[in-house]
Amino acid sequence: MEYLIIGNSVAGTSCAQKIRFNDKKGQITILSEESFPAYGRPLISYYLAGKVDSNLIQYRNDDFYRENKINVVLNCKALNIDSKNKKVKGSNGKEYSYDKLLIATGSVPFVPPVKGIENQKNTFTFLKLEDAKKIEKIITDKSNVIIVGAGLIGLKAAEALAGKVASISVVDLADRLMASVLDSQTALRIQKYIEKRDVKFYLSNTVAEVGKDSVVLKNGEKLPCDILIMAVGVKPNTEAALTAGIKVNRGIVVNEYMETSVKNIYAAGDCVESLDILSNQNKVLALWPNAYMQGETAGSNMSGVENKFAGSFAMNAIGFFGIQLISAGIVDPKDEKVSIYIEENEKEITYKKLLTLNNKLIGFALLNLPDRAGIYTSLINDDVKLDSLNYDITKKDIGLNVFPQDIRHNKLFRGNNK
Amino acid sequence: MKKVYAFEKNCLGCGLCEVYCKTAHSKSKDIIKTYRKENITSAIVIEEILSPKAKTYFALQCRHCADPKCVKACISGAMYKDQNGIVKNIKEKCVGCLSCVLVCPFGAVKRNKDKERKIISKCDLCIETGTPACVENCPNNALKLMDEEEVK
Ligand SMILES: Cc1cc2nc3c(=O)[nH]c(=O)nc-3n(C[C@H](O)[C@H](O)[C@H](O)COP(=O)(O)OP(=O)(O)OC[C@H]3O[C@@H](n4cnc5c(N)ncnc54)[C@H](O)[C@@H]3O)c2cc1C
Ligand code: SF4
Ligand code: SF4
Repeated sequence: MEYLIIGNSVAGTSCAQKIRFNDKKGQITILSEESFPAYGRPLISYYLAGKVDSNLIQYRNDDFYRENKINVVLNCKALNIDSKNKKVKGSNGKEYSYDKLLIATGSVPFVPPVKGIENQKNTFTFLKLEDAKKIEKIITDKSNVIIVGAGLIGLKAAEALAGKVASISVVDLADRLMASVLDSQTALRIQKYIEKRDVKFYLSNTVAEVGKDSVVLKNGEKLPCDILIMAVGVKPNTEAALTAGIKVNRGIVVNEYMETSVKNIYAAGDCVESLDILSNQNKVLALWPNAYMQGETAGSNMSGVENKFAGSFAMNAIGFFGIQLISAGIVDPKDEKVSIYIEENEKEITYKKLLTLNNKLIGFALLNLPDRAGIYTSLINDDVKLDSLNYDITKKDIGLNVFPQDIRHNKLFRGNNK
Repeated sequence: MKKVYAFEKNCLGCGLCEVYCKTAHSKSKDIIKTYRKENITSAIVIEEILSPKAKTYFALQCRHCADPKCVKACISGAMYKDQNGIVKNIKEKCVGCLSCVLVCPFGAVKRNKDKERKIISKCDLCIETGTPACVENCPNNALKLMDEEEVK
């Protein structure tokens, strides 16, 4: 059996590991467009900040590849998939044949058209280790940095550069930071906190024009700019999939076995759209744990052990500027029937928000209160009825003691997570 | 595999397991020095069970899950399951993002209180010494190291 994987990040790695677990003999090859071994992609900001080095950022060590007999081909972009002859053409001139193929090509940055962007030669996106390395090389304590995008990636870039450059300005069209996970109140509180660390925000605003050493915002303000980081968002990288005529909507379309519309070709991670169990719709959930689980599910099915992907929902643990935010599920609901419970302490900058609907927890956001957050996540994931619990979760800090004794024992003694 | 099981009926909620857990993971391995000089977070959560008659307790450590969510969520590769089934955390690699805390259904991963490097603290079954310090030192036999099969 020949297994071929396009994309050497978390989805690709977890797929390969699962394949090897089920199939000790098959040949596993991973093609990577990048020149580095697989690394923790979210760690590129830690790298830029000097908190991890090129060595520590590596996701799995060399032993992992040796023990699992996984062959990684770096600097090789998959250019074309020929599904009829089951062959993939690499940018290194070689052809790779497969019996089962995984597409795990991840995300590409979304860069909206901006007038004059070609004038700024120091324009970057922030998705790859290579980006972080390039930025690292050119920054000085005199650099004026403009970051477009106040989402997770933009803020992580701002954190990494804080204290290293002359100025950091973050511009976003939305009226608040991290608009997808934060409500206005919490966002404003975090914004004020970050502003004290010398990061300026220009919200409900955008870069209208880029000049050689400045940018002009939509509201007419002109800011000096030596480095421009475009962190508006990401979109599924479907380029390779399209060469095989695979069905693509926003992301690659897959079934619950992570199979694409073309036989023997699977897809996983940021490049696919899959079931979001809270909205019951197919969505692109560009998140690390999701990519891991999808890659693993694909690997299982590719190596003959049938396994369904149970679906997932948005979840994130984000730390920046010493703030810790953990959220999952729906946090900014449109549905008026959702009950929202909020507990906050402005001085300590803590905040707890729980959202319930029809006797179930559907989302939560915890600011600087991370302890035992996973129990809330499990209540959402396992669809637990709140009135079956020992106490009202809005009245007390969560613990395993929330579960009735028999269920708790099942979890603790039989490892039964449900 | 073997892991630590807590027996609610025997647990006094005294917290000795935490003290010995900290000491076992200290540099000095000395109970007093650990307490005074080393800022260590135990890998145990002691929970109180609310019952109408009396308070009871149990001590919780990582369950070393068969299909560990923390390993999947870990963005750095610090969390992994070794060949013996023990879920370990490579301290040097951990960046303290708390993705593992976000997904652990037991709430068994704790934040390390160390101010210098924010990382996490979780049970490693005292791999260095062979017997978990909490089990050895529980005065009332409320913690036992048992084989999974034995328990079922
Ligand atoms: C700065 C930053 C911070 C983040 N923080 C978090 C976080 O805190 N929590 C979280 O859950 N998620 C976070 N994410 C998102 C997370 O990194 C992604 O969800 C995850 O990396 C997706 O993994 P993947 O395997 O699907 O694809 P990717 O990690 O995107 O990797 C895809 C790989 O495929 C390669 N590739 C693409 N096309 C080809 C081709 N044709 N041939 C060969 N190779 C190809 C790419 O070069 C890349 O190496 C963050 C992302 C960034 C950029
Ligand atoms: S930390 Fe939590 S999820 Fe990870 S193995 Fe331990 S109990 Fe399971
Ligand atoms: S806190 Fe450490 S162990 Fe936990 S997910 Fe983050 S890097 Fe991994």
